[in-house]
Amino acid sequence: MTWLDYPTYLLLTSVFWLLALVLLLTPKKSVFHTLKAVFLFVGWAAIITFTISLWISLERPPFRTLAETRLWYGVFISSIGIVLYYRWNQPLMLAYTLFMALLFLFLNYLNPDTFDKTLMPALQSPWFIPHVVVYIVGYAFLGFSSLIGVYGLYLYYKEKNIERIMLMADNIVYIGFAFLTFGLLFGALWAKEAWGHYWTWDPKETWAFLTWLAYLLYIHFRLKKKQSPKTALWIVSLAFVVLLICWFGINYLPSAQSSVHVYSS
Amino acid sequence: MSQNKPEKRKKSKLWQFPWGYRESFVIAFFLLLTGFLIELLLGGGVRMPAWPVNIAIILIFIIYFVLIHRMIKHPIVKWLSSTQAAIAAITTFTVMVLLLGFIPQGATSQEPRLIDSLGLTNVTSSWPYLMSALYLLIVLGFTIVRRFRSFSIKNIAFLLNHIGLWIVVVAASLGSADMWKLSMQLEVNHPVMTAFDSHRNTYNMGFGMMLLDFDIEEYPPEVGLMRNADYTLKLEKGGKLATVEEGTTEILDKYSLSFERYLPYAQKYGDIYDTTSHRGGARAAYIVVTDESSGIIAEGWVADGSYAVPASYLMINDELSLAMTQLRPKKYSSDIRIYHSMEEYEDFHIEVNKPVSIGGWMVYQVGYDEQMGRWSETSVIELVRDPWLPVVYVGIFMILFGSLYLLWMGKGRIKTKKA
Ligand code: HEM
Repeated sequence: MTWLDYPTYLLLTSVFWLLALVLLLTPKKSVFHTLKAVFLFVGWAAIITFTISLWISLERPPFRTLAETRLWYGVFISSIGIVLYYRWNQPLMLAYTLFMALLFLFLNYLNPDTFDKTLMPALQSPWFIPHVVVYIVGYAFLGFSSLIGVYGLYLYYKEKNIERIMLMADNIVYIGFAFLTFGLLFGALWAKEAWGHYWTWDPKETWAFLTWLAYLLYIHFRLKKKQSPKTALWIVSLAFVVLLICWFGINYLPSAQSSVHVYSS
Repeated sequence: MSQNKPEKRKKSKLWQFPWGYRESFVIAFFLLLTGFLIELLLGGGVRMPAWPVNIAIILIFIIYFVLIHRMIKHPIVKWLSSTQAAIAAITTFTVMVLLLGFIPQGATSQEPRLIDSLGLTNVTSSWPYLMSALYLLIVLGFTIVRRFRSFSIKNIAFLLNHIGLWIVVVAASLGSADMWKLSMQLEVNHPVMTAFDSHRNTYNMGFGMMLLDFDIEEYPPEVGLMRNADYTLKLEKGGKLATVEEGTTEILDKYSLSFERYLPYAQKYGDIYDTTSHRGGARAAYIVVTDESSGIIAEGWVADGSYAVPASYLMINDELSLAMTQLRPKKYSSDIRIYHSMEEYEDFHIEVNKPVSIGGWMVYQVGYDEQMGRWSETSVIELVRDPWLPVVYVGIFMILFGSLYLLWMGKGRIKTKKA
């Protein structure tokens, strides 16, 4: 299976998730609730099937091009949204994550990758998969925590109770931050093997490190109980901007013209 | 600071103990300002001290943290390990890294511009960067000694993260002066004893290296549709390449390509290609192109060309031709002999991602002569010696384990009952 088959699967996923979203607010223990679970799962299964068979047909893990990372982002963020929905009953979060996932998956439809089976020699390493997987999981969690941050700000300005939402943001930041730390450190260990030094301030490294610093700031800011939740929410929301620059903006930065990480075809 | 006199009333309020965010950020601001001033006045950035000055600095640092923390019970010492100071230090450091992230580094124009003089085109060796890193390390150091008491699991995780980070930053920056990174260009059968650093200074290594053999493993050749107008491949919007394999047929756009013959090492004789045993052979394929509606429309040779053999395209129509993409290495490797003396030698094999340790040096395969491609008889290797590496690794693994705890425990349980 290749990207040529993608539209079919994208259509399946979109239709089923949109159906699930229509049923978003149906009460528990109703038929519709069960139906919603089925729709969620079928949509999810479709995109997972595509991802796995793409992997098989490429004969290399699909972690290299921008479209491939967008695919994984869509897979991970929707998975997290679904898990959190069933764990903490957060319909709005589910809506957010499915929306984000569909947005990313749809971007892939508009900007498909060219067909490519090759990996440059430095990328053929046992570090490659763990490095990219932990990064993407980290980004998915941190991106999600930032969405919670934005939602928290909305609640804050509406003068609603935000204690629960803050706790949720904290926990998700901790998880995402740990994964991002793994990503940075695996990257360092790998760079030593491949390029002879563990840290070269390559633009992509620099921006991943900045993302890490932004969330580090949030973690430490939240340590004092009495601190204003407003500032904390702004920090976690703005950290997302840094994350996005790291991920997409990097290709357009003047400082990044020589990065070994800028994806090209 | 005497220039602050006019604001005396405000000032006395500002510096009242215990210090909080305002004091922490004001101090950060003056540290950066000092850094930029020194950079402007001295210029040229910071040079890290090498062994043994660096280890002395580190020891003095540590002793200083412990002694001051033990002996002086001043509110400033307390402030040095506060979260407010930590926030200011992390923010300041982030600002410096942001500058690094936005401004192209190493830009050297003829006349130094203001950003050059301020060290902003060479952030990591600038004085303001050093100041921000020092602030971070000092606050981090005091935080660590304050928490170096009870050893609950939570505290151990805290210590792993914070000590690990301290070690990584200190060992990576102070150790950088002890790191050697040299490169050598090896030619087949020519022993070489000299290596270069990044400034093209030469060094006699005291041993000789000789390239026995250089080898490239290639990806299979691919052909794609090329626009005749500007010789660019037509690849956008899902356009793809077809992999060449003798006896197979592939579909490209609305054309069907059947690969009648494939020669991995070919020479051009008149209009045709044939296998050659000489060096410099290119890859060539005989392809028959069929259009679904009109049948066979073109057939002929397509070759990627090399330094010795011309490339060939196959014209399909006025707009498009078939072209073979350039060779892409799957991996490349060198067999190298190292002479310790005339009689005594050792052979080893290196490839990308698989460095070898030889006599205290890590030897990396970094490049080859790309003009010659698969026929390169040149191999570029890099020799790296980094005595602080084990220390950095200790720090890295401490953080890895510390983060594992964060991952497992999160910040705390989410109370599901209380809304
Ligand atoms: C690997 C990077 C870091 C991680 C993962 C990390 C994580 C944490 C965590 C989870 C806590 C709360 C833990 C607890 O109280 O048991 C904490 C506390 C703290 N951290 Fe960090 N931190 C890091 C780097 C830093 C840096 C760079 C600084 C300062 C410049 C810093 C200063 C502090 C301070 C002052 C506290 C409060 C400690 C206390 O009140 O006892 N941390 N950190």
